Amino acid sequence: MTVRVRQPGWTRAAAFMLVGFAFSVGISWLVRMLYGHGTFRHYLEAESFVLISMFVLPFAFLIGLGAFDYWFYWAAGRPTRPEDHSGHGATSWKSYFYPNTDHKVIGIQYTVHSFFFLFVGGLMAMLMRAELAQPGRQFVDSNTFNGLFSVHASILIFLFIIPVFAGLANYVLPLMIGAPDMAVPRLNALSFWLLPIAGVLMLASFFAPGGSFASGWTAYAPLSTSAPLGQMFFTVAVQFAGASSIATALNFLVTIITMRAPGMSFFRMPLLAWANFSTSLLVVIATPFIAASQFFVLLDYALGFNFFNAAKGGDVLMYQHVFWFYSHPAVYIMMLPGFGIVSEVLSVKSRKPIFGYRMMAFSLLAIVILGFTVWAHHMFVSGMQSWIRVPMMITTAIIAVPTGIKIFSWLATLWRGVIRLDTPMLFALGFLTMFTCGGISGVVLSMIPIDIHVSDTYFIVAHIHYVLFGGSLFTIFAGVYYWFPKMTGRMYDEKLGKLHFWLTFVFFNLTFAPMHLIGVKGMPRRVADYADQFATWNLIISLASFALGISTLVFAYNMIASWRGGARASANPWNAMTLEWQVSSPAPVFNFDQVPTVVGGPYEYGVPGAVHGIFGPTAPAEAKPTPAGTHGQPPATE
Amino acid sequence: MEAASIPAAHGHDDHHHGPPPANRSSRVEPALLGMMLFIISEVMVFGAFFTAYFFIRVVATGHTWFPVNGHDLPVAVAGVNTAILVSSSLTLHWAQTSIKNGNRFGLQAGMTATFLLGLTFLFIQVNEYVHIGFAAQDNAQATVFFSLTGLHGAHVTIGLLLLGMVTVRAYKGHFSPEHHQGLEVPGIYWHFVDVMWIVVYTSVYIL
Amino acid sequence: MGEESTRAEADPLGGRGSRRAIQQMVIVGLIASALGIALGLAIDWFPVQGTKQADKIDTLWDVLIICSVPVFVLVTSVVLFSARNFRMRPGEEHLDGPPIHGNTRLEVVWTAIPAIMLVSLCSYAYIVLHDIEKAPASGTERNIAVHGQQFTWTFDYNEGGKKFSSAQLYVPEGQSVHFNVRTRDVLHDFWVPAWRMKIDAVPGITTSYRVTPTRPGTYPVVCAELCGLGHAFMRQTAHVLPKAQFDAWVAKMTKPAAAAPAAGGGAAPAVDAKALFTQGEQQTGATACGACHKLADAGTAGGVGPDLNAVLKGKDAAFIRQSILQPDADVAPGFSKGIMPATYGKLLSKPEIDAMVKYLEEVAAK
Ligand code: HEA
Ligand code: HEA
Ligand code: HEC
Ligand code: CUA
Ligand SMILES: [Cu+2]
Repeated sequence: MTVRVRQPGWTRAAAFMLVGFAFSVGISWLVRMLYGHGTFRHYLEAESFVLISMFVLPFAFLIGLGAFDYWFYWAAGRPTRPEDHSGHGATSWKSYFYPNTDHKVIGIQYTVHSFFFLFVGGLMAMLMRAELAQPGRQFVDSNTFNGLFSVHASILIFLFIIPVFAGLANYVLPLMIGAPDMAVPRLNALSFWLLPIAGVLMLASFFAPGGSFASGWTAYAPLSTSAPLGQMFFTVAVQFAGASSIATALNFLVTIITMRAPGMSFFRMPLLAWANFSTSLLVVIATPFIAASQFFVLLDYALGFNFFNAAKGGDVLMYQHVFWFYSHPAVYIMMLPGFGIVSEVLSVKSRKPIFGYRMMAFSLLAIVILGFTVWAHHMFVSGMQSWIRVPMMITTAIIAVPTGIKIFSWLATLWRGVIRLDTPMLFALGFLTMFTCGGISGVVLSMIPIDIHVSDTYFIVAHIHYVLFGGSLFTIFAGVYYWFPKMTGRMYDEKLGKLHFWLTFVFFNLTFAPMHLIGVKGMPRRVADYADQFATWNLIISLASFALGISTLVFAYNMIASWRGGARASANPWNAMTLEWQVSSPAPVFNFDQVPTVVGGPYEYGVPGAVHGIFGPTAPAEAKPTPAGTHGQPPATE
Repeated sequence: MEAASIPAAHGHDDHHHGPPPANRSSRVEPALLGMMLFIISEVMVFGAFFTAYFFIRVVATGHTWFPVNGHDLPVAVAGVNTAILVSSSLTLHWAQTSIKNGNRFGLQAGMTATFLLGLTFLFIQVNEYVHIGFAAQDNAQATVFFSLTGLHGAHVTIGLLLLGMVTVRAYKGHFSPEHHQGLEVPGIYWHFVDVMWIVVYTSVYIL
Repeated sequence: MGEESTRAEADPLGGRGSRRAIQQMVIVGLIASALGIALGLAIDWFPVQGTKQADKIDTLWDVLIICSVPVFVLVTSVVLFSARNFRMRPGEEHLDGPPIHGNTRLEVVWTAIPAIMLVSLCSYAYIVLHDIEKAPASGTERNIAVHGQQFTWTFDYNEGGKKFSSAQLYVPEGQSVHFNVRTRDVLHDFWVPAWRMKIDAVPGITTSYRVTPTRPGTYPVVCAELCGLGHAFMRQTAHVLPKAQFDAWVAKMTKPAAAAPAAGGGAAPAVDAKALFTQGEQQTGATACGACHKLADAGTAGGVGPDLNAVLKGKDAAFIRQSILQPDADVAPGFSKGIMPATYGKLLSKPEIDAMVKYLEEVAAK
């Protein structure tokens, strides 16, 4: 036992957390004593030590689990254990429950963990739809309902979309650019283990006195600063989720910049690498802002600071500016990696080079830059200085241009290809249409007079889901099906995959398309009860949404069954050119025996004798170079 | 912490089965690059707090700045403190150059001096809090004052932890003219904390 | 992949990519866009047009539909066409597509056209914005102060020097109204869907917008910014009246306000509790109980609060009084705190409350 407690692992984590808890209680007791709240009843008053434990326990857990051991050794100047790669690679399913330095293990940890939270968040959506099926109160009171959509959104954003992209990239990106691992493997492990903490906190909020946090995923002050304790679970959880994505972004950037295979110039990188490069830039620059915004809320709430207390000179709109300065870029953090995935899938599945590779890369950077100049389009009706609106309207609308470049280039990539219509491709094509739809509703929203009317209505909810579900989630499904053979070494069931696509596609539209209408007609968002005129549509929406939920179960079944019993996958089932497909499925524990040499673009399909990467000890430094995007041959009959 | 972990991640030569050595596709040192990027997001953290400062000082209705109902900021004391922090950057630089020339005494003396100067800064800062005569709860201006200086104080503390480790290792005989990266990386961070303070001082105390 | 031949060499697509096929696609696309636009314009999207402003906004919407549908149709039809005509046929398993890397002219085109489209849309939107916000050229403009608080609206009038406040919003037809929106607690958002305009009520500042109601009738006033438990129930009614009726209403509102001090303590007019229950207290802006409560005797059917017919059975006066004065003191099972306004103690006079308690007690006894 004592050994187990000294060993890094769950036992030690549990032990440390007990200590941490005692510590938190002690501290809050001490402080309250010093400030003279000295009557016994108040020593153990929930608020204070719950708040403290929210910060202390996670670190106790991480330290116990051994996420920091190595750095402690190093910091103490003790001889760091020689690199025996003990913590590298999975030996059994158990390995997935410990910090691991292998980017492939971490990638799978991320992905599986995120999908778990898709189901949790989705389940909450189901409950919401059940309540909204009819006007009036059915199952939940308004407090619970506000909690449901707040947690629904927070979980799906901070614990599904953002991390699942990081997960997929974690697995494939180092392989794609010919790196043996991420640049900072231990930081990589840490950034994963920060996520379960955020997740547990958000779910735990339901047990807090006064219920879960219920001021929306936007947590606008002063509602959030005057809410019950549950709000703090969001505030703190976001700190951990944010720290996690910043750490991953740093890792991606350093990896992409310093660890590309010989010959892989920036313009020979697969577009997925480009996408994650741009995304990571967004994360590194923007995420500190949401951390800060929630920190302000914490200080106002817990210590009675006055950031948002207008009576004492605080400024309420400041919260919204700081929040959206992160959260608008965040919507591109939730989309750009998807763009990367779609580029991979489309080019491979239509057996053609990406059309206009360089413009594809540049439009990503353009979106990154423009993305920082549009945040106030969420604030057209917030009562901010009115002169800010028009410039923001213009920049917002202009973002459609680089995005359009990508959409049209993808269409041109399809053109005259030899298109394999299998599941990943179906989802990629579904994405093209659905995201265009959501994007266009976005452009409609950017027109101030329209936004003044539809802001905070179900039209927004429709937009949200067309871009996040029809956009991000479709690309995620495409990516998961596309790399499933590589990550698991098994093939998924094509029939079920197609079934999943069609069910999702149909019921997705049935669920969210009508929301445009009822929104414009005047149904506000974030309400548990609504005027009878909307009853019929809401019933239809709810029924469709349940079917949508079921369709997700088809996916879950397919993944689990195929992972356990699917047919073995060959190394390169799609015969793709990018490097991750040139190694065995699943990829070997150290990725490559010898880093390959890159001699051409990643998408040279149909180019006679084109090669992307050369393996083997004697790689010619430069073979016939055919960088991507060179407008080599005059396009056929375009 | 990022910085601390990086040396472990690469540069160890595997004379046993392990991953192939990664190709270095860029001249920049990964550790430095990582630290630079990390500092970018640190700058953004301060950026957010300065946004709060800007809104409350300039935008908010009834905006004013110190002296707020009678209370002013101890500009002079803080000025002295600024001098202390700046000098700590110099001593750090001394330590770094000395180890490059293999002068271990210079390293140890420099690190110790830097550490102590940093500690003094922190002490004076806390002392200032105690005697300043108003609390963050009083009004938004006070809130901003305590948050900005407090945020910076937190960074000084982290910086001191890093420097502390380096100092310990300096006395344990680590580092050499060839391998002193474990000193460079925390060094950058400390210089950043230093520059940040100058910005905070000018905007909060002087302007 | 090198050794594989591309489809271009192997078999020239058997006409599937031919000019005719593409022309067909274009024609289908054009028809689809036409139908799409027709549908988009046919759907009656908006609530009734209650103001001058509404008309301009709805027109902008139609223009946006006309621009958006073709874009969507374009993308969709190219996707469908490729899926149908370029799909891999049996025996093509090893073929690649033609190695087309790009085409600068095309890329310029599809950068320029959307850019032009969007800039012109923005300019148009800007003009509309300017129109709907500019002050009326002629005629008087009335200022009404709107106060949001969890979870009711209060409207303060200043009619020819006479100040009074109302829980229901009354405005005259055809005159521009300028709303100055404030809040007593958290963010709210003052929205009358039929009027299109909307603005947050923000602590510490006064926000505003103006509309010119053109259509007599009653419209819901909706709170559109999440403000807590009662957010969904923060509804009131806006009455647009012909000028004459409005003046009559103003007269009615201002008279008692002037008379009250004169009447003194003793001769306070007997309170009609049932009316109070169904209509609320206009002058202080106390929301009608009936807005939230079902009560057979008063004929109200509000569903927000408990059904008073049921919950009041066998309840004594003390309980009822407390429920009104401190609603959160004991919360009806299945409901949550903070929805029923805790302000009735202030908004209703002592006699009014006594009357209300007495009335409900009788009802409960029945
Ligand atoms: C993946 C996430 C994602 C993405 C990619 C986007 C993309 C866009 N969004 Fe969206 N948005 C959200 C997620 C996202 N959004 C969320 C979650 C909210 C609600 C937050 C909340 O309040 O809870 C929101 C809210 C939101 C608002 C605020 C509404 C309000 O609250 O009042 C606005 C207003 O301008 C807006 C605009 C846009 C625009 C212009 C784009 C553009 O980037 C879209 C560009 C793409 C296209 C236009 C399609 C492809 C382009 C072409 C085919 C070229 C030709 C097109 C034309 C000429 C039109 N979004
Ligand atoms: C990635 C983001 C994402 C995703 C995937 C979803 C998915 C869904 N969302 Fe959500 N949603 C948001 C992001 C997302 N949402 C955001 C940001 C908001 C704004 C919140 C705010 O206002 O603050 C929001 C708000 C929101 C609202 C508005 C709430 C309100 O304003 O009052 C609604 C209402 O219908 C809704 C519904 C749904 C539904 C039906 C799904 C479905 O697609 C879910 C389908 C998936 C599942 C169902 C899970 C898998 C199935 C099971 C677990 C088995 C159980 C199934 C059955 C019992 C049938 N969402
Ligand atoms: C905004 C909606 C709203 C309005 C307006 C409102 N109530 Fe309520 N009322 C509620 C809600 C919700 C509850 C249940 C929660 C509680 O008990 O506080 C409630 C509870 C009550 C109860 C106690 C029922 C019980 O069994 O606990 C009484 C009595 C009552 N209201 C009477 C009134 C009267 C009289 C008025 C008008 C003067 C009024 N209410 C106005 C929402 C409202
Ligand atoms: Cu008031 Cu919502
Ligand atoms: Cu946005």
